[in-house]
Amino acid sequence: MTELFELFTYDFGIRALWASVMVGLMCGVLGCFIVLRNMALIGDALSHAVLPGVVVGFVIAGTGVMAIFTGAVVAGLIAAILITWIQHNAKTKSDAAIGIVFTAMFSIGVIAISKVSRKGGHLDLDHFLFGNVLGLSNADLYLTGFITVYVLLSVVVFYRYLFATTFQPIIAETMGISVKAVHYYLMLLLAFAIVVSLQSVGVILVVAMLITPASTALLLTNNLKKMLVISALVGVLASVSGLLVTNFYNTTPGPAMAIMATFFYLVAVFFAPEKGLVFRYWYKRQAKWKIQVEDTLKQSLKLQQGGRLSFPNLLERLEFGKVRLKEILRSLSRKGLVEYNTSNLVLTEAGAGNANKLVRAHRLWETYLVEQMGLNAEQIHEDAEKYEHILTEELLDEMDASLGFPKTDPHGSPIPRKGKFPENPLSTLSVGEVATIATDQIDDNLITKLWQLGLTPEKSFKMSNKNNGTLEIILENSTIKLPVELANKINIYREQD
Amino acid sequence: MHPTISIKGLSVSYDRKTVLTNIYIDILPGNLYGVLGPNGAGKSTLFKSILGLIPINAGTIKVEGESITQKRKSVVYIPQKGDIDWQFPATVMDVVLMGRYPHKKIFERMNVEDKAIAMKALEDMDIAKLAKRQIGELSGGQQQRVFLARALCQGAEVLLLDEPLVGVDVKTEKKIVEMLRQMAEQGKTLLVVHHDLSSVNSYFDKVILLNQRLVAYGDTEATFTDENIAKAYGGQLTILHKTQTLKQ
Repeated sequence: MTELFELFTYDFGIRALWASVMVGLMCGVLGCFIVLRNMALIGDALSHAVLPGVVVGFVIAGTGVMAIFTGAVVAGLIAAILITWIQHNAKTKSDAAIGIVFTAMFSIGVIAISKVSRKGGHLDLDHFLFGNVLGLSNADLYLTGFITVYVLLSVVVFYRYLFATTFQPIIAETMGISVKAVHYYLMLLLAFAIVVSLQSVGVILVVAMLITPASTALLLTNNLKKMLVISALVGVLASVSGLLVTNFYNTTPGPAMAIMATFFYLVAVFFAPEKGLVFRYWYKRQAKWKIQVEDTLKQSLKLQQGGRLSFPNLLERLEFGKVRLKEILRSLSRKGLVEYNTSNLVLTEAGAGNANKLVRAHRLWETYLVEQMGLNAEQIHEDAEKYEHILTEELLDEMDASLGFPKTDPHGSPIPRKGKFPENPLSTLSVGEVATIATDQIDDNLITKLWQLGLTPEKSFKMSNKNNGTLEIILENSTIKLPVELANKINIYREQD
Repeated sequence: MHPTISIKGLSVSYDRKTVLTNIYIDILPGNLYGVLGPNGAGKSTLFKSILGLIPINAGTIKVEGESITQKRKSVVYIPQKGDIDWQFPATVMDVVLMGRYPHKKIFERMNVEDKAIAMKALEDMDIAKLAKRQIGELSGGQQQRVFLARALCQGAEVLLLDEPLVGVDVKTEKKIVEMLRQMAEQGKTLLVVHHDLSSVNSYFDKVILLNQRLVAYGDTEATFTDENIAKAYGGQLTILHKTQTLKQ
């Protein structure tokens, strides 16, 4: 452990630590806007394009911190202006324009460095490509500090301009904000951040410090201010831990920092609440389980109404296997929604109540789609199969009211009324139970039909048999056969009521 | 009555292709205007010209007698749903607070008073409870209210709405129209790009019919005639429109 922190007993180690903290902070904050504006490629481009500026600065004014800094910033801005100019004026694709400009400038930079070195100038290409955080001077550190403060202050002071132009550039324009001015100011800040980061992470990897912490933060929050804070934290964590890794394994700092940033990003990709893969997988599984449970309940109700509820019949109607069904039935049994053992399968009253809620959701949604969205009755079943599992009770009640409490769905099946439903349709009676035909039926056609069958209101009858989709009732000593579909629609009063 | 917006001789073209030619319109305050016309008729271009977002070839546009740059605060644009990034990490409050931006000097900070004004706008639109939600989590109707709340927060006198009724259900559509009417009754001027011809009569006091040229504008009853619709849309659509009215 002491080995790990031994670095910080040296002055150059302390300087490296400070520089890493500041670079992580600054790039993390600025990176949020780069990511949200889809400018990741521009970040990469600017970092490469500063190279010729570094050489020019060096040739004109020597190795002084300010010379290299000024040259690099100017080169960065020239690249930004060139890219924007090509995008607006030449008929070239946006991302191609970025690629053309930065590769050209980077190449000029590389050639210029080798020329200068051959003439005896001391410029190390490697330091610019991969950073040299352990070789920072005090002057380098002060410049980094000054730029960090400047960039962070700019973001705080101009926060609302950055927010508005990033979120809705056109609206910002109508509010009198110059989107162009904000764009170029952001480019300037970006050039600043890139140039001071060059020394720690290098040209090639600085873009990682800009986009990876910001993308990590975006997975963790839906709020821009929180995103800025999280991104800054991840940036600092990545650069400092990268520095420690560098020291421990004796590698180059830039790549170590980029890898640490990627590591944090991957953790977020998998484990972020809500947006993480693990959470989403778990949530999907939960949703799937819920749908299967609810389908089981619904099919059980239909089968029970036809007097045909048994394990094999149920299995046949469902889209999943034996093992799953057993698992589901055991779970339903624990909740008291079914009675289930090796010889017996019955939906309890509570189970039927739950199943009816699903039937209500399904049929109300179908009615809603037909009446209010203008779809026709053939198109809607599959949609309703999905939505019956999602719609909340609250929403259903609202939908029910706005439709004027319809009695049947577009296919003519009755929509279970809330609460009193389990008592209502004839098909819910079990064998041997006695009931009377209700005066209130869903429509006049049905009343006529019932009258033809001799089932006039308030007549008492007994359920005598339920089998294979047909019900038999005994009314004044004669047996009447009723198909389940019809029995589902007939409104009855139970004797004990 | 002085017009809120006065457009005189407006012509606009993109890349040598003419989009609007010689448009003269006086838009009166306290009215809900339907802006109608087929695709490519120049409805969005008209909005962008009023907002000063695009260069115009000829003509003048005055808002309350002045150029748009003097009147930025009082003119609000509400873009189509599809033009907004609903995944953006912005809360309802963040969006509504934007209405205060034009009232602030460059280095001035947002303060408690600004937040109170934004909160009041949220309450007026009945979405105060949603202030901390991310905008993508809202329903279509709630999303429209967020942008109306921003207009209130900004203190806008003129609202330009690009297809606010697309992608919302019938009930929400009625509610939004109700809110737009109330704003018009309070003296605001609203221009709404609209596509469903069957609801024009019941929604709008006045209409503007465009097809690159100004076909007609004025009171809905007198202006939204089969003859004018035919001029704006061409013959086929009139038949379609007639069959629609037959059904009702």
